[in-house]
Order: sequence, then structure tokens, then C-alpha cells
Amino acid sequence: MKSSKREAGSRKQGLWRCAAIVVCGLAAVASAQIQLGGLGRAAEAKRQHVELLTDAIEVDAGKRQDVELRFRVEPGFHINSHTPKDELLIPTVLKIDAGAVREIHEIYPKGSAFRLPVGAGEMLDVYQNEFRIGLEVVAPRGASTMEGVLRFQACDNAACYPARELPVKIAIRGR
Amino acid sequence: MSNHVTLIPAAPADENSGPPDTEGMNLIGKAAPAFTLTDLSGKKVSLSDFKGHPVMVNFWATWCGPCKLEMPWIQEFSAKYQAQGFQVLGLSQDDGASAQKIATAAKHIGVSYPILMPDEKVAKEYGGVDYLPETFYVDRAGKVVQVTAGAPSKEQMEALIQKTIAAGGA
Repeated sequence: MKSSKREAGSRKQGLWRCAAIVVCGLAAVASAQIQLGGLGRAAEAKRQHVELLTDAIEVDAGKRQDVELRFRVEPGFHINSHTPKDELLIPTVLKIDAGAVREIHEIYPKGSAFRLPVGAGEMLDVYQNEFRIGLEVVAPRGASTMEGVLRFQACDNAACYPARELPVKIAIRGR
Repeated sequence: MSNHVTLIPAAPADENSGPPDTEGMNLIGKAAPAFTLTDLSGKKVSLSDFKGHPVMVNFWATWCGPCKLEMPWIQEFSAKYQAQGFQVLGLSQDDGASAQKIATAAKHIGVSYPILMPDEKVAKEYGGVDYLPETFYVDRAGKVVQVTAGAPSKEQMEALIQKTIAAGGA
């Protein structure tokens, strides 16, 4: 799965490079621009850059329990950690709605050091690939749902997207 | 005119990064959308104020690392090509941020060219600008001659500025 995604990424990048070369050489640049615009839109439509891997958790009902939510950042992208070095950067924050499952607090992982490869570069504190946010929760007996959002701001090596919110919905079974 | 077009995709080191948002590239060869925005002191600034000048319209945000890394280059080129009439307008995309916060960031980055406050309508007219930095190179006739999505190299940026200065009559 991972390798097929990687191959797809390489193909996409290859296509993009080819498109740029072709467009530079064509006299009818205007029509080519429209096609490239279409490619951009299609790619943009699926750009969330972070996915939730955890969909269900089983816990002991009525007790404080530590659980972990697993997230994955799209290859080639990074998001700021919960504690980015620069106060202007947007931190990753998980917000759980009040509901049947009571959340006591979150435990964020440490970020990893990443140098932005633009010019002299800048050292950032980021999450890449898979990361896990811990939660202390108290869940009722039986089936319930924990909902919330993960707010994050993603960048690749040359550019950034505005902050986004990933819906988080986890089925909880209290035994 | 169209044979001057150069597409500069963001240059991610990782080949798995997808293509940049290219919506704004549809503006190449067309008149740059007009706008009037307020600068950090509250003064109105219009693109039309710079008619007859080659203009760089640079969309950026305080939370965008690559933007902050390329902005000192823009400042440097702004001074270097000032004699040729080159002008820079930095359009902040920090929705909801105060002018003071944006001014503090601009000062920290070390830029003195006009920074304009965000306006979603303007960003929309420039193709959405959902991928920062995004830069539109506008010639003396007010036409978009180049667009970059993502930070180019410093050399690429200077070459695009030179082409923009050379393109278009007053």
C-alpha cells in the first residue's frame, strides 16, 4: 500500500515535470495552462494531508484509561508539532467534543527536527509519517462515540497550505 | 508573449509531493486582477497605482515557513531592481490577524516593501491562492507574465524578475 502510494507519487511528480517541459515548448500555451489548472484542482480536492488511522477502541468502562489515536501524515509533507519553535507557526491541536466519553487530557508526542530546504533553511519541530496522540478518557459501559477535530497546518518542502481540521470519530466500547 | 511563459512548480525535494496548486497559472497572459487593499498603516493601495511598473504580487502568511525564507530575497531584489521601476506588493493571507501582528512578523523577517492586509475576494480572483507562497509577476502593461506556486530558488526568482522587467511596454 505504502509503496504503491509512493509509486503513484513518483508518477504524479513525473507527470508534472513532463507537463512543465511540454508547456514551455508549446506555442499554444494557453490551452495547456487550462489542462494544468485542471490537474491542480483534482490534486487539491484530495489534499487533506493527514488521515486518522484509529477507528475503534475498547476500554474498561468507568475507569480512567490511557488510549492512543494514530494519525498519518501524507509522504512528502509535514505538520507542525504541538509545540512548534516559532510562535507564528500553527500548532497541531486535538479537540475532543464533550459527550458520553469524558476526556481528561491529551498527551502530545514530541516532534522531530526538520530543516526546511529553502535557501539557508529553517529548523522546524514537526510530525511526519505516523504519530500518536495519547488521551486519558473515561468511557461508559457499552458502545459510544468520541468525536472531535484535529487542527493542523501542513507544508511540503517548498510551500504551505492553510490550517485545516480533520474530523475525528472513534467508536468506543466500554467493557 | 506566450513563449515567455515559464512554469516553476514548487521544488519539493521529496518526489512524493504532488503538483502545486496551479489555479493561478490560468492568469498567465491575462490582465492581473485589479485590487485595492489597505497597507499596515491603513492606507489604501491599488495595483493600478503601479501601472507602468513591473510588479511582483507575492501572497504570503506569517505561518508559512517557505514564505519567510524567500521574503528576504524579495527585499534584496526590490532594492536591486528599484532603478528599473520594479515594485513589490506582499499580500498577507493571515485571515483574522491584526495589522500589528502582521507588521511585527514583517519587521522580524526584515522586509520594508508594502505589506497589504488579507482579502479573501482578492485571493479568489488570483485563483484561490491555497498554496503559499504564490507569486504573480506582472509586467509594465499590467499583464501576468509568470506565476510561481511554492518557493523557487533565489536564482529562479531573480531570473523571473529580470524577465518581468524586460517584458511588456509601458
